[in-house]
Amino acid sequence: MRQLIPAEDDFTSRLRSPAVAARIGRWLGICFGLAFVTGVYSHFLQDTPTWLTLPSRPVNLYRWSQGLHVIAGTAAVPLLLVKLWTVYPKLFAKIPREKRALALHGLERLSIAVLVAGATFELATGLANSAQWYPWSFDFRSTHYAVGWITVGALLTHIAVKLPVIRAAFGSDVEAPQAADRPGMAATSTGLSRRGLLRVAWLAAGVAVLATAGSAVPLLRKVSVFGVRSGDGPQDFPVNHSALSVQVTRLAMDPSYRLKLVNGDVTHTLSRAQLLALPQTARTLPIACVEGWSASADWTGVRMRELLHLVGAPPAVDIVIRSLQPSGSYIVTDMPANFTAADDTLLALKVNGEDLSIDHGFPCRIIAPARPGVLQTKWVASIEVSA
Amino acid sequence: MMRAAFLGAGLLLAAFGAYSLLRLGVGNLVWSLIWLIGGVIVNDALIAPVALGALALGSRSLPPWARGPVVAGAVVLGSVTLLAVPVLGRFGAKPDNPSLLDRSYGVGWLVLAAVVLVSVLAASLAARQRAMAGAPGDHG
Repeated sequence: MRQLIPAEDDFTSRLRSPAVAARIGRWLGICFGLAFVTGVYSHFLQDTPTWLTLPSRPVNLYRWSQGLHVIAGTAAVPLLLVKLWTVYPKLFAKIPREKRALALHGLERLSIAVLVAGATFELATGLANSAQWYPWSFDFRSTHYAVGWITVGALLTHIAVKLPVIRAAFGSDVEAPQAADRPGMAATSTGLSRRGLLRVAWLAAGVAVLATAGSAVPLLRKVSVFGVRSGDGPQDFPVNHSALSVQVTRLAMDPSYRLKLVNGDVTHTLSRAQLLALPQTARTLPIACVEGWSASADWTGVRMRELLHLVGAPPAVDIVIRSLQPSGSYIVTDMPANFTAADDTLLALKVNGEDLSIDHGFPCRIIAPARPGVLQTKWVASIEVSA
Repeated sequence: MMRAAFLGAGLLLAAFGAYSLLRLGVGNLVWSLIWLIGGVIVNDALIAPVALGALALGSRSLPPWARGPVVAGAVVLGSVTLLAVPVLGRFGAKPDNPSLLDRSYGVGWLVLAAVVLVSVLAASLAARQRAMAGAPGDHG
């Protein structure tokens, strides 16, 4: 009688070998490492600890970093699928009877379960988020961040456990038999070789990147058939959240709009016409979204440090920016002193030669170098020096 | 030594992550667990068995020279289709924001599928020729 649940030795393909798993694992590790480092950077930009100062140069730093974050995660999808296929027999490994062996076996299985759960969670939620799809009720940003730490922790643990097997795998040719190969493994392959399977994995990862990265890499725009953004939009660049979606249209279009600048007891209000009468600065800066897409635009507006000067504040000072938007997230954001002092941090009034459109933040919006799009506050209501 | 360092760092990072996750509250944790465990189940009980079945079917019905190219095509098209599910379904599309998900993803998928299909056919035919030419006095 054939059993429904297979045993580890029922799998005979010689492709399912540590020789393959270690080589794919290396690139998976690189992808997850890149996604982790860039993810922590992005998290700290949005939630900066007091002891940390993040650079405002180069101006494209966040654009590159977050583009890399999403590209690394996307490339990891085919790699993870192939890797899980090669190690699938392990799921059916014999459970030892002896107590100590059983405990070790259990711990290893637990660490693998956490690693697989964490890795699939990070890739699935990250991809869904980049398409603004939220079929869940957990908070995306904080949960994706916490599980990122769990996943990388489980990955390091996994490397520690497997280190002898990994060393042996890299110490010999990929087609050579491995000490850790299953005894019943076929001597030859009727289809792909191990090297062939590796090439297929690299190819799939490459196609995955080409098919999506155009949202972040303008050169790839034409070939990225699955990019979440083509790069088009009102005034030649995309919108993340429209004025309508955060119910801000009426407030933003109100002719009696006044920007409020506050420094302790000193308050100053400015109409849009008065803002336009101040010295204007033009800069080319990217909007780089946490979702991985980015687009460069030509902004014109008033330097932040000149606005701060109007209320007697020094150029380098922590500030709080409030939006007119009555709903949505990031209504209030903090900007650290090194960003307010940067000579290209602007309160933008125009973009690409036109007045800001309502969806891009009319009457005025923040644009600063090396910051995530969610912190480039639109429909600015007030700028206040932190106490 | 190196193993101990990896293990120590790994446990520390994972503990910090677990602590951060727990701090987000019970409701958040329950939803997170559904997705965490769901991912493992989808892979182990759905994707892996389907891939196994497809492989078994393929190795029985395909001539040897076509197996490599067909597997390559299936891995590329299958994995890229899977990661494109959020855009193919346009689940996050918003009527007030035409700049989001603004491509014809269905057409894009057909183009990708056509490119993969043509590549698989070309590679299979090339492999077949090599097999025919090499058959009498096989060197390889």
